[in-house]
Amino acid sequence: MTRRAERTQRIGSRAVQAGFLLVLLVLWYLATNRWGVNRLLLPNPVAVWHQFVDVLRSGEYLPDLRVTLTELAVAFVLAVTSGALAGYFVSRTRYAIRVFEPLFAGIYSIPIILFLPLYVLFFGLGPASKIALGTTIGFFPIVLSTIAGFGGVDRALVTAARSMGASDYQLFRYVLMPAALPVILSGLRLGFTVALLSIIGSETIASLAGLGHHIVELAEGMDMARMFAYIAFVAAIAALLNGAVSLLEARGSRWI
Amino acid sequence: MTTGDAAVRIKGVAHQFGEEGEARYVRALAATSLDVVRGELLCLIGPSGCGKSTLLNVIGGLVTPTRGSVEVAGKAVRGPLPHEIAFVFQESALFPWNTVIENVQLGMLFQGVPKAEHTARAQKSLEAVGLADFAHHYPSQLSGGMRQRAALARALSLETGILLMDEPFGALDEQTRMILGEDLSVLLARAKKTIIFVTHSLGEAVFLADRVAVFSARPGAVKKIIRVDEPHPRRPDFVTSEKFTRLRNELYALLHDEIRKTVSESAP
Amino acid sequence: MNAAVQNFLGRHPGVVRLGVVVLILIAWESAARWFIDPLFIAPPSRVVASLGTVLRTPGVPAALRLTFFELAVAFAIAVVIGLTVGLAVGLSPFARRSTMPIILLLYGMPQITILPLFILYFGIGAASKIAFGVTHGIFPIIVTIVAGVQNLEPILLTSARSMGASRWQILRWVIFPHMVPSFFAGMRLAMTGVLLGVLLAELYVSTAGIGHFTTMFTDSFDPTKLFGLIAMLAAMAIMLNETVRRVEIRFSRWR
Repeated sequence: MTRRAERTQRIGSRAVQAGFLLVLLVLWYLATNRWGVNRLLLPNPVAVWHQFVDVLRSGEYLPDLRVTLTELAVAFVLAVTSGALAGYFVSRTRYAIRVFEPLFAGIYSIPIILFLPLYVLFFGLGPASKIALGTTIGFFPIVLSTIAGFGGVDRALVTAARSMGASDYQLFRYVLMPAALPVILSGLRLGFTVALLSIIGSETIASLAGLGHHIVELAEGMDMARMFAYIAFVAAIAALLNGAVSLLEARGSRWI
Repeated sequence: MTTGDAAVRIKGVAHQFGEEGEARYVRALAATSLDVVRGELLCLIGPSGCGKSTLLNVIGGLVTPTRGSVEVAGKAVRGPLPHEIAFVFQESALFPWNTVIENVQLGMLFQGVPKAEHTARAQKSLEAVGLADFAHHYPSQLSGGMRQRAALARALSLETGILLMDEPFGALDEQTRMILGEDLSVLLARAKKTIIFVTHSLGEAVFLADRVAVFSARPGAVKKIIRVDEPHPRRPDFVTSEKFTRLRNELYALLHDEIRKTVSESAP
Repeated sequence: MNAAVQNFLGRHPGVVRLGVVVLILIAWESAARWFIDPLFIAPPSRVVASLGTVLRTPGVPAALRLTFFELAVAFAIAVVIGLTVGLAVGLSPFARRSTMPIILLLYGMPQITILPLFILYFGIGAASKIAFGVTHGIFPIIVTIVAGVQNLEPILLTSARSMGASRWQILRWVIFPHMVPSFFAGMRLAMTGVLLGVLLAELYVSTAGIGHFTTMFTDSFDPTKLFGLIAMLAAMAIMLNETVRRVEIRFSRWR
């Protein structure tokens, strides 16, 4: 494609995106202010904005945010530890990989959120059940990517290192880790994302505290404007967290 | 050679990519004029990037040159001419989801051959290249050499007067190239087509061609045309003859400096 | 362990895998029987024995059927929408450049946060479950299809052009067959998404669906029946996933 056509396409697509956003906002405003759509269904965008600012300013999100982040942190640490260790030990022999990898992959293919009622029954409505579920769901992408990462190391590199007299530790530190790291990091990122989603999800379904729970409270109180604002807030937090993790993943892969 | 015998006339064709001053600007081909005799096998050989593949694409109507024009069978080339020209590319360009025979038949469908003739023609060309037993295999089940045979069968089944081959054996190992080269020579002696064949291999050029056009380094232009006077089909032991060695050495002498020039230009 | 057994196990990792599963079941069984309060966990033997009772609980078979219905409908709708949008976006470079960022933005949003909204809009019946399943299912299909169109090797298009293929012929004989594996891969991912969406909505609020009974069994501290019900749902999920996977493999024979 010629340079000019290329530039036109680029400007054109940006225009479409901006236009889409604009049309959406305009329709939303008209729907609630001019066309009489029930405020109980769709709140006034201006009201939502005010509520959003208020949420941020009042800091009422803090206790819920603390709960969610704590659950996430604990679940993630547990998932990484168990997943990475299990993955490493399974990856040590081809046979173990053939035995365990399909097992993990098979379990992961079921929506594990199904087991939430069981966790609630066992751990109660508090943070423990959310952490347990988050750990369980986060475990699988991490263990699978650890197996794939270490299992996929070019055997020729291992042979070469051994032939030069590398010890077990040296092999791990200078050959296995660098080779496996990019795959493992992407698995960690995925584990983080699914853990976060499952924690917010379980807070929504069965909880007494946390960001997901707060949205449900607002829904039950029919406080539509504030609920919309809170949803935007939580989505923003999630985007921030995921973005930070993606950055760490890229950074981590680069120093190799 | 009388002018009436020219199957393809290349008139002052030059091509560049991008505009001067742009990052991607490159003068691929300098003004080239050449007549290809009907029924001959003309080889285009030259250092990497000298524009021989570009010239092939121009002849086939896949690229419009920035200057000059090509005439095929008296008509100016303005786009693909599926009834006159068939291609064989380096990557076999077989559709991986179709079997070998389906690939051949699909070519005929595109060209517009009546459906009733598809099977018979496909069988015939597969037999000609020695793939009759593999008609219902998928490309992924075949070796590189067999895939190129299949691509050749597809091109042959289109029954065009002209065949353009862009380094068709480039991705294959030495021994497969040798066998395919010999088989190609036998096949073409029977088929009586005009063939323009791009290659990197000196030996392949001398073995297969009636004439070899040697290109200079980029932007490429025809430096010299060498004639190989040897009847088709070429006997396999032609390769060991004194004439072969002499011609090959001549090509080497012409090309060596051009290749050096190309490599030194691309060195950082 | 003698050489013959070792040899057999070596060639049949599946047997060892089964052994691992059996070991886990045994551990679960003993933990549930002797170490943990029966109020919270049930041994697998009792769970299996009570499956009949679970199915005879009034409303449960209907709930299972309803959930399956929600899954099937959501999947069908998601596939139709996803395919149409995916092809429309994938085949036009301009559409792809302008709308893909929007689609990816929506895909990355944690949809769970708007589950209460879906319930408010679509009610507590099957409609909201289906809708939530659809929104989870369409994005993987769209993304997969768009990626599939993009990785078509240009040489195949050139080759078809050189043989005189018309635009329609290229669409029918080159682009469409190339898309088939992507389509089925997308369907497989869509099924995963639909399962997640429908089940999330069911667990959140349900009057006649499976979620109603999980709540009931949880509230009455009946782990046996709860395990049994969830096991049945898990079996349904596995069956659906497996079906789509088999179909995908069958249609990708040429790979």
